[in-house]
Amino acid sequence: MKIKVAQEKLSHALNNVSRVAVGKATLPILNNVLIRVDKKKVSLITTNLDLAVVDYLPVSSSEDGVITVPAKLLAEFISNLPKGETIEISTKDTKLTVSTKKYSSTINGTIADDFPEIPELNEKNAVIYKLNIDDFKSSMAKVLVASSNDLSRPALTGVYFNTYDSKLAISATDGYRLAEKLLINKVESEVKAIVPSSSIQEVLRSINDDAEEIEIAFNEDLVRFRFGEIEIISKLIDASFPDYQKLIPKNNNINAVINREELIRITKLAALFSKSIGGSIVCETIKPDSFLVKSIANEFGENDSRLDTTVNISGKINLNSRFVLDALNALDEDEITFNFSDHIAPVLLQNKKDKTYTHIIMPLNS
Amino acid sequence: MYDVWKNALEFIEQQISPANYSTWFEDTSILSSENGDIVIGVKNSFHVKQLRSRYVDLITKALENHNIKVNSIDFEIKTSHKPKIRSREITISSELLKNRIKNIKKTKDHTHHQTGLNSKYTLENFVIGSNNDLAVSAAKSIIDAPGTRFNPFFLYGGPGLGKTHLVQAIGNALLNKNPDLKILYTPISDFYSDFIDSVKLGKGKDFNLKFRKLDCLIIDDFQFIVGKEKSQEEFFNIFNDLYQLNKQIIITSDRLPSQIKSVDERLASRLTWAGAFDLQLPKFEDKCAILRAKAEAISAEIEPEAIEYIAENVNTNIRDLEGEFSTILLMSEVRGLTPLELINNGSISVNKTSRLKKVTPKQIVEKVAKYYNLTIKEMCGKSRVTHIKTARQITMFLLSKELSLSTNKIAAEVGVKDHTTVMHGIKKIENDLKLNFTLRDQIEEIKEKIYG
Repeated sequence: MKIKVAQEKLSHALNNVSRVAVGKATLPILNNVLIRVDKKKVSLITTNLDLAVVDYLPVSSSEDGVITVPAKLLAEFISNLPKGETIEISTKDTKLTVSTKKYSSTINGTIADDFPEIPELNEKNAVIYKLNIDDFKSSMAKVLVASSNDLSRPALTGVYFNTYDSKLAISATDGYRLAEKLLINKVESEVKAIVPSSSIQEVLRSINDDAEEIEIAFNEDLVRFRFGEIEIISKLIDASFPDYQKLIPKNNNINAVINREELIRITKLAALFSKSIGGSIVCETIKPDSFLVKSIANEFGENDSRLDTTVNISGKINLNSRFVLDALNALDEDEITFNFSDHIAPVLLQNKKDKTYTHIIMPLNS
Repeated sequence: MYDVWKNALEFIEQQISPANYSTWFEDTSILSSENGDIVIGVKNSFHVKQLRSRYVDLITKALENHNIKVNSIDFEIKTSHKPKIRSREITISSELLKNRIKNIKKTKDHTHHQTGLNSKYTLENFVIGSNNDLAVSAAKSIIDAPGTRFNPFFLYGGPGLGKTHLVQAIGNALLNKNPDLKILYTPISDFYSDFIDSVKLGKGKDFNLKFRKLDCLIIDDFQFIVGKEKSQEEFFNIFNDLYQLNKQIIITSDRLPSQIKSVDERLASRLTWAGAFDLQLPKFEDKCAILRAKAEAISAEIEPEAIEYIAENVNTNIRDLEGEFSTILLMSEVRGLTPLELINNGSISVNKTSRLKKVTPKQIVEKVAKYYNLTIKEMCGKSRVTHIKTARQITMFLLSKELSLSTNKIAAEVGVKDHTTVMHGIKKIENDLKLNFTLRDQIEEIKEKIYG
């Protein structure tokens, strides 16, 4: 095997794939990156058996071959070489030699036979969606805040892709709050699949500026994200997601339109006076024009802040301040709607104009 | 099929590296094997791909080594929606099972909502034996005249010995005699959560009133009172009020109040004013009686020998006893064999004992010595110092009870002169046990150490 490649490109690709190569103690080969050269096509592959990252590397000249070497070591070595150099990589048996004009080093690898095969998606019966990559990034970030990392409830540790009314939406919940974002307005195919949050995060980390579009393909038990030169293949979570449409309140009668920045500021103020991060704050509306955020901590004192807005009904609700801040940061317009009920029902937060993002938070017991 | 796959896996394990084996073959199972078309269940698609491309030959070889005809091998992802191990026997008479389950469901809902009593617990179906006759006769006198002689009625004993059954039976009997009686059965934990809820809602007074109107209050699992001072005080007040009014109070716990940490002394002493009654482990005859009564109640046919077998082999508590009994009956229905046939052909092995490990006399001597911080030499010496003497006697007691050694052998083990000393020692501990609860606890702890 032999390839010639620019340092920046190789370093970048190795950084992308080596994050996944944190091998399980049981199978040390998972620490390695598989480098395969096949007819001028170079692929770098790592996997942790939950997901696999494949990066295709553009090279100027090559000779076929395959080898695996410790991913972290190779990535760090390459990233510390001077930029702008052309690197030549060649193998002899299980040794891989990296050389430039001034540097040369040999890394002990292992033969590729032990490296796990990466599952492939069956293109024929796959459901495929294409999205603008910036939309994808911002949408995912918006719902990921609500996902849980409680492994005892696997369904909540992922982002749920689901189609209804020929729309594709994504959602996540940790049982206390729920976020839903409409992804595509009109779709033909149907999908109901939970993608592990960790896989989504891996995708978000790997996205760079080169790509403009991301392709998401679902199979019965696999999902593949393809963007730029990168492919990430992940298993799906085998569980059923709660029927969340029922949780979104329809009959909340108290409505206030609030400046988002202002509300973030006074929520932060109030959070200082609630017991800890995530402590409870009281949001209150008073007819006709006041929106109040209050908090009381016996040790520190108390805090009252007021915003001017129009209010139709007076009422109040206790909320977790951390959750409110997360929701407000996920929204992006200047003005947002804060919609709740005088009965016990979750509060509904949305942008004033763009209603494709919905964030609901369960109230705390007073 | 399950066993065949286990054998095949053993073969595979020898052929490949442990890392590969544990990564790819753990959690696999055979899902179906019709006409040599083997379907193997695996974790996810990563595993499917790997097994299909690397290990088909090995699996074929492994199966063929165990005389399984292999036509094709395929892999399928096991989802949680499918059962992981498919059992074969149950399908034969699944109708029967369904009916059974239906029956169980039907009989389940006896709970009376206002009183918390469950009408399936009666005194009639409580099997009386030497292990519980005292408590039962006290219960009967409560039913005749509540709130008089045995008030409060404090009942204690290990798990699964029938505490709940007995106190519920008292409640039901009282209710039968006089349906207007206000009775409340509640586990202490519910008492708390009710109390906390009502305080939160500012209805502390209502809570108080609700309890003070009662004619009979039954508190279950009192040991969980631990460390909740405010509600303990509330309980104490309610207790006092009811007691003043001569209302019957019934309390169960797994130990005496004085042994429950953080129970207020005033409360502890009041709880056992009228004495404490304990339920003990049933003896062999009692266990047989319980099983016979149970068999009669559900009109199941079971041979006396089978009953004796179960009674002999379950030594933990009544709940386990009944559990084993039901399992055997169910199996006999499903397999179409009588319980005794099942036991004889070895399909069932009942072994519910708290004594699982074999121990030697040496171990017991060592453990006792260690427990009391003595060297074996000290303990088995001639010292007449009280605590050393007691330790020596406990050793004798345990050797006799746990290993049934003869007094002569025990004498040799603990280094005393003759068997009469041993007999005296055992007798002494037996007598002390009746009154001295610390000693009882210590012996239980030592036993745990011996068998743990």
